[in-house]
Amino acid sequence: MGEQLAKLWRKISWSWSPGSERESSEAIVRNLWLHWFPAKITRAAMSWNYSLWLGTAAASLFFILTVTGVMLMFFYVPSTERAYGSIKDLQYAVSFGRVLRNQHRWAAEGMVAVVFLHMARVFFTGAYRGTRAANWLVGVGLLLATLLLSFTGYLLPWDQLAFWAVTVGTNIAREAPVVGGTMRFLLLGGTQIDQQTLLRFYVLHVFFLPAVLWVMFAYHMWRVRKDGGLGAVEAIKADRRMAPKPMPATKSYSLFGLTPGTSVQVMSSTELEAEDQVVSSPNLTRRIVLVFLIVFNATLLASIFFNAPLEEAANPAVTPNPAKAPWYFVWLQELVASTTVHIGPLTISGGFLGGILLPGVLLVLLAVWPWLDRSPLSAEGRWFPSSRKTQNRVFVVAMIAIVLLIVVGVFLRGPNWRIYWPGMPRPQAPTVL
Amino acid sequence: MSAADKKNVPPTDTERRRVLRLLGKGSVVAAFAAQIGAAARAFFPNVLYEPPTKFKLKRPEEYPPGFTFDAAHRLFVVREEDAFHVISAVCTHLGCTVQWRENEFDCPCHGSRFRPNGSVISGPAPRPLSWFDTRLSPDGFLEVDSAVDVAPGFRFVPPKGQA
Repeated sequence: MGEQLAKLWRKISWSWSPGSERESSEAIVRNLWLHWFPAKITRAAMSWNYSLWLGTAAASLFFILTVTGVMLMFFYVPSTERAYGSIKDLQYAVSFGRVLRNQHRWAAEGMVAVVFLHMARVFFTGAYRGTRAANWLVGVGLLLATLLLSFTGYLLPWDQLAFWAVTVGTNIAREAPVVGGTMRFLLLGGTQIDQQTLLRFYVLHVFFLPAVLWVMFAYHMWRVRKDGGLGAVEAIKADRRMAPKPMPATKSYSLFGLTPGTSVQVMSSTELEAEDQVVSSPNLTRRIVLVFLIVFNATLLASIFFNAPLEEAANPAVTPNPAKAPWYFVWLQELVASTTVHIGPLTISGGFLGGILLPGVLLVLLAVWPWLDRSPLSAEGRWFPSSRKTQNRVFVVAMIAIVLLIVVGVFLRGPNWRIYWPGMPRPQAPTVL
Repeated sequence: MSAADKKNVPPTDTERRRVLRLLGKGSVVAAFAAQIGAAARAFFPNVLYEPPTKFKLKRPEEYPPGFTFDAAHRLFVVREEDAFHVISAVCTHLGCTVQWRENEFDCPCHGSRFRPNGSVISGPAPRPLSWFDTRLSPDGFLEVDSAVDVAPGFRFVPPKGQA
């Protein structure tokens, strides 16, 4: 019995300080938890400066969100009458409930930011070219799923923010041509925001979207390996190609050795050398644990000192003034608020132009960018190579535009969505009539 | 062998099998697709537990002159002397509740502004605020049908003795 247990333990555990390379690779290959990692990893991919470990941080946040989210499900009641009360209970009646909810909220906002930064890193290092284009596409899907999870998540407390976000969100959906009305009816489960609406968004948030995200995440990781590791690997290979190692002095009598031109040794020098790599166990495993702990502690610290926002209970009669979306959607709010155009007798609502068309174009552009990009493949795997100046400028300009819209929305917009410069007195808008 | 001859040749065994196999696979796929369709259809509710679009407000004489906000129904009852009309408080842009301030309606979500008659002054709202059909219920209350829009300028004057 004891021996059986020890055997089982050996199957699911591994040595953190393997005595040999063989023991190290066996830990990876024979272990359920580690088998999806490569046995060896390039030093370049392990570098802090190259990837900034943003992908690992995003995955860590998603893991934290899954665990805290499942815990919150034990306390939350998806009913329009009790949802708000159950959040209040978490804040004031459940031991450490406040920290639990805070951590879920801050990890969620962190994930939106980190996923976006991860995308920026992949863009700036040109690590989405050639074989990695497919994985970029999966990444765009993951970004979209992250945003949808955030949206469906902040609806659940059924406070004022939640209610007016569903109102605005589903009215944007209504602006979609042809299918808009049907889509809104399907999302709301009727024509008004009611119990059915909350239940639908709840199921989307706690099961459907996380399941989609987990599957895409698994595929994302699998593709990283199939594509030969991070983009940094391509930079090493390119360097090797530029400066091939001198041919070994030994003479080859193989079939290849008889062929004229470059010999097989020269060709193989484009591949990774032993000195480029380190064993994954314990180098990669240790690093992942370290990144996870940093991320976990950061969210926990934030949760101890800052409370997740909770507005007053949902009230269909009174819209808060100003009614602001969370920061990562404020730029969309700015867009829908300022893109209604009048062409003669024709009026196109900002709900369609700024809420559907512009974000849609942006998303499609992002998705097909690897196929539009004409920069040389040799630029792959390095930060800001000069041959990618144009692409990087376009990306930076788009990023600055979004950040500016967020700054305007978060800091300058006051009652009635008017601009108030710092120092200007803001009229107190009554929230109850 | 000419084309006419070919027609008269009975289908061979393999051809017959191919057709039968296609029918078999096709029916399985069709049944599966129908099941998916049925499951999707379930998400479009047949019964809605929503308040009716036609509802009663207060008695006409209970409204003071000017604009009165009805929070429960998200609309404004406007009284000018003995004439009444009802304007929706739902912004035509993305559905937030507008507020009545100093001779205009303001939307807090995206900054649309409307004149007292509901037409747009500025902001992203694509259409003027709706005017709802208003009448008197048999028992003497103002009655509104929010599913029926009337042209701006509509006035309802209750029969004498009611207001």
